[in-house]
Amino acid sequence: MQRLIAFIEYNFHIILFVILQTICGFLVFSLNPYQQAIFSKASLGVTSTINKLSSDVYSYLNLKSQNTLLQNQISQQFKESFPQSLHYLNDTFSIVDTSMHHLFDAIPAHVVFNTAHKANNVFIINKGLDHGIKKNMGVISSQGIAGVVLSSNQNYSAVMSLLNTNMKITPHINGQEYFTEMIWDNSKFNCLTINGVNKLEQINLGDVVSTGNSSLLFPKGIPIGNISKINNTPKNQYFELELKTATNFRDLEYVFVIINNEYLGLNDLLLND
Amino acid sequence: MINQIIYWVLVIGFQVLVLNHLDLSSYIYPQVFVTLLLTLPLHLKKTYQLLIGFGLGLVMDLFICSPGIHMSACLWFIVIRMLILNRQDLKEHANNKLEYSIRTAGFSPFIYTTLILIIFYHFYILWIEGIGNINIEYITKTGLSSSLLSLTIIGVFQALKLNKYP
Repeated sequence: MQRLIAFIEYNFHIILFVILQTICGFLVFSLNPYQQAIFSKASLGVTSTINKLSSDVYSYLNLKSQNTLLQNQISQQFKESFPQSLHYLNDTFSIVDTSMHHLFDAIPAHVVFNTAHKANNVFIINKGLDHGIKKNMGVISSQGIAGVVLSSNQNYSAVMSLLNTNMKITPHINGQEYFTEMIWDNSKFNCLTINGVNKLEQINLGDVVSTGNSSLLFPKGIPIGNISKINNTPKNQYFELELKTATNFRDLEYVFVIINNEYLGLNDLLLND
Repeated sequence: MINQIIYWVLVIGFQVLVLNHLDLSSYIYPQVFVTLLLTLPLHLKKTYQLLIGFGLGLVMDLFICSPGIHMSACLWFIVIRMLILNRQDLKEHANNKLEYSIRTAGFSPFIYTTLILIIFYHFYILWIEGIGNINIEYITKTGLSSSLLSLTIIGVFQALKLNKYP
């Protein structure tokens, strides 16, 4: 305490100078109209910068809830895409067939674990049996197809990613279904291969590949990707097509599990045939 | 002491009544009253010097209606004066309680100190008055011409003092 007092005593003139200059600054910038205006302008600039900074920090911290909101907005977009056949519930949206019977439901889910660098990639979502999710249900992201449910426990489900060598989907290109397999050969990230499309077909770069009628797991018209490369080998009568997936599997966070309410019945019918 | 007070009143009166209404040119804005701070007695404590500077600035601001501007400039003037005088050998004069002048400091140190302080004061006033919209050309012309006139008048004051107390 004595050292503090001695310090203040020794530097009293400096402290006094700072105090008096502060008073002067206050008088200059509060009582002189011109200087006041300049100060207001400068302080406004500083305040707006600080406000922007705090707003950015708040936005960053609020990203999770914003993502949930976005997921709901995506559901709305699905609704606009299929105005005649979709029905929305609080936590799910439904695709209704023409007789107003709910054929598909979609449950929003969050990806809690994801791999994209292996030959057989799998991701895990935070919805399971308790939410009505079972094996062999389709999973889509906001961009397109993401995978198929492999197994579920009460709260989580493992989903076979589209980037899995065991994944096989029938492509639908330019309004036509091609009964050939679309596979991932583990050669390029986010790229699938389609063989068996005849060269007589009109296929162009950028054509959208989507789901068709031949799958019980997905509604028709869900994007799978775009044609990114057409290999035209002279000796082969079929194109070798490369497809860039619509879903970016490295950034996969929010998905929807598609529930086909008539899967068992339809599957029985198909098996009986 | 009474002579000193009369001298202060006369200098302040000369500044307020004559120099502040001088209409020689828009570039001439002399601040001669700072000679009172320049020639403060050498034995005065730093705290008192600051308070005197603050008080004189307050008086000038009251007359000119520029709250805070001269007060701030006078405080800086005193601080810079302290820094310069610390580098000059004036202990003997301080012990004799003499004021800072040509006689005590010598011609060259006094001119050097006065030049720095007067130019600083004028430029500081012009800067703070035009803050946010500085016109370099105007400030340079006004600062230099006003400083020149102020230095001339302060030189006359010093010459008169030298003649009075040879």
